[in-house]
Amino acid sequence: MKCDALTAERIGAAWLHGALAPAGDFGRRAQDAAPPFGPGDEAVARRRCAQIVDLAARLDPDGVAHVRSMVRRAPDPTDIVSRATAGDPLSDVDFFELGRLADALEATAAAWDAAGGGAAGRPPTIAPLAGVLAPGRAGGAFYLADAFDPALIPARAAYAAADAEVAGARRQLAESLDPAFQPPAGAEEFIVMRDLMPTVPAGLRVVREAPGYRLLTVELDADALAAVDRREAALAQLGRTEDLVRRALAQEVARYGPAVLAAGRALGELDCTLARVAFTQRWGGCVPELGGRRFAFSAASFVPLRAALSDAGLPYTPISLDLGGAAVLTGPNMGGKSAALATCGFLSACVAAGLPPPAQRAALPLFASVAWVGGEPPLPRERLLSAFGAEVVRTRDALSASPPALVLVDEFARTTGPHEGRALLVALVETLAARGVFALVATHFEGVARAARVPHYSIAGLGPRALDAHAAPDVHAALDALAKAMDYRIVAADGDARSPSDALALAGLLGLDAAVVERAGVLFDAAAGPAASVTE
Amino acid sequence: MMDALLDTVLADGVRTVVVVGTAKNVGKTVTFNALRALALRRGIVGAITSIGRDGEAADALDGARKPRVRVEAGTFVALPRDLLPRSPALRILDLGGPSALGPMVFARAHVAADCEIGGPPTARGVRATIDRLCELTAEPTFVDGAIDRVAPLSGGTAEAIVLATGAASGTSIEAVTAVARSTIRRLTLPGRDRLRERSRRIIVEGALDAHDALELLAGEPGATVVVADPTRVAVRGKLLERIMSAFDLRCERPLRVVACTTCAFSPAAILDPRALARAVGAATGLPTFDVLAGLRG
Repeated sequence: MKCDALTAERIGAAWLHGALAPAGDFGRRAQDAAPPFGPGDEAVARRRCAQIVDLAARLDPDGVAHVRSMVRRAPDPTDIVSRATAGDPLSDVDFFELGRLADALEATAAAWDAAGGGAAGRPPTIAPLAGVLAPGRAGGAFYLADAFDPALIPARAAYAAADAEVAGARRQLAESLDPAFQPPAGAEEFIVMRDLMPTVPAGLRVVREAPGYRLLTVELDADALAAVDRREAALAQLGRTEDLVRRALAQEVARYGPAVLAAGRALGELDCTLARVAFTQRWGGCVPELGGRRFAFSAASFVPLRAALSDAGLPYTPISLDLGGAAVLTGPNMGGKSAALATCGFLSACVAAGLPPPAQRAALPLFASVAWVGGEPPLPRERLLSAFGAEVVRTRDALSASPPALVLVDEFARTTGPHEGRALLVALVETLAARGVFALVATHFEGVARAARVPHYSIAGLGPRALDAHAAPDVHAALDALAKAMDYRIVAADGDARSPSDALALAGLLGLDAAVVERAGVLFDAAAGPAASVTE
Repeated sequence: MMDALLDTVLADGVRTVVVVGTAKNVGKTVTFNALRALALRRGIVGAITSIGRDGEAADALDGARKPRVRVEAGTFVALPRDLLPRSPALRILDLGGPSALGPMVFARAHVAADCEIGGPPTARGVRATIDRLCELTAEPTFVDGAIDRVAPLSGGTAEAIVLATGAASGTSIEAVTAVARSTIRRLTLPGRDRLRERSRRIIVEGALDAHDALELLAGEPGATVVVADPTRVAVRGKLLERIMSAFDLRCERPLRVVACTTCAFSPAAILDPRALARAVGAATGLPTFDVLAGLRG
């Protein structure tokens, strides 16, 4: 589903992307690799939504969170497997990482079982490779243990003996020196003042000389030097033996490489799936009907707004709508017109992402594109344009979209003269309807739906005297009062109906000078035409 | 005599010992190795890590010969992946944050080996590395440190700093001593004490640099000036002395410096080790040792 950044922001697609972020690297890769569902993918997208709804119902929510935390722990083996497959050597850190991956896969599978996941969909493990690494994996660590190859035992014993021999030889040489001239603990080199040591005794070698003192080290004799050589040889032999073991292990890793990579991919898909399951468990979701000629939903949520209201302790009213193409939406200020538009876009973004739309029921096309026009600050490239100019440019782009497309128009032309603005909007709605795109056009202009011969919807809005005329003490109190008084439902409106904006009541509530509001009321009553008739 | 150095450092149940130097080639790694060797004599293998890249045969920057770091059997070590010795193999216990040479690897030696050690590049990485080592072993962790990256230390009694100084930071005993005195004055800034603070307080966000110092000196003296930790004081020498005498300079997170070590020679200068250790001890008021000469100042 194509949409630009501003549209993605307005319809909550950007928010949704964050909300569905996978827990681990595998999931991120899987998400990047999976294109959104578009026209032609209806059957696959519906199956995906059905799978998510089924899992959301079946899995324990705490268990889902636990599985995701296990997934997060899994390291990415792709680089290691690639190197092993190419015949490159692997290091002990690589084997440690593969061991961690095996553990994480086991833990994920166990968490899946505990969450009630069942055999179908159970994430794979890499038990054969875990078995190969097992001799070195006590306590979750990795060590190139003797059990990998008996040849390590004599090689290590020889090195330990040679190292001890060197230490012993050094100690013996140091102890043979005058106690006054023995090196301090841990120091290969040490200083002795010249006045204490006029001449350098046998067994010591001068590293550096100054007028007042000498920097000395213990002179290794032939036996000690031979011991050093033997230690170097033993270390080299141990190195060769350990490398042979690593090479054999790397070959095993290469052998199981396809299984490891497949497990990683499965883990990535599971990660993406569980992100959607967790979302659905929290916000609800349904299996949508996709691909028909209607965009209809009931009790749907624009979740970014619902989440924000929930955080603020405010209620949220899910909305319902049935669109057959283009339609006009009118209603009071702060009544939720923009949120209704956003809900349409959000549900479209959900199904494109393979997420059950958060609604009781939903039927919609998989859109090729979604565009939002109006109510936005100018984009950077349009900074030289006025607000109206920027809106026109976005509208021009939106009109170039081919069906199946969704165009959401929020108070287009509100910043120009009302007569020309209304005329432009009527023409725009006619054009959108003629082109067969789905469009919801929110406006305060009157008679647009009738003039463009499209359905008219309205926000139910405020009941008579629903708001106290007195100003609320602050904005929060005003929002509380508004939330209690406003009916956010979308209802079908008579084509001729005038939809009240409730601007005067809201202005009073938000603290505009009472005299101004009162005078406006007198002027409004004098000029008012037939009363609005809203029918559900 | 050198046992006194270890006693000083490990007093009060210290869990982490960080050796820092006033300059390169002042015997920081020599001090680090000496402390570990002294501890080993008492059966303490502990844990080791570094802030820079240490243990290599020659300095990566100037090519000078450097002391190796020997990892005894049983020692816990944190080092970047690319410095992990090929042989003898270490037991890999965990992976940590990033460094310039790959992720930090927490490991344990089965047999003794010489190796290079290194550490994370950031203060936060150093803190995380020390914390993980302290989880892995109850024995002390020895850190071959860097003076500008001790900020993450808590300053409590569990963490001690040893300052290495020497002829590489000055060509005369007076010059070396001045640097040591100034460094210790800076590192041992007192912590905040609400009862003793002046009524006027100036909180310095970020570093207290020469520009800030001159601005302070141009104003009214006497206030309590607070920085986050001693490493945020970027002024040195006489300017630092002037600030400290004109203001009550304090920090939010004080550090605990417990001893100094001296190294009497450098590629550029050779000093009298006995006189240097004595002078540094007198100037800093801290127990001071020359681990190469086996001297106490």
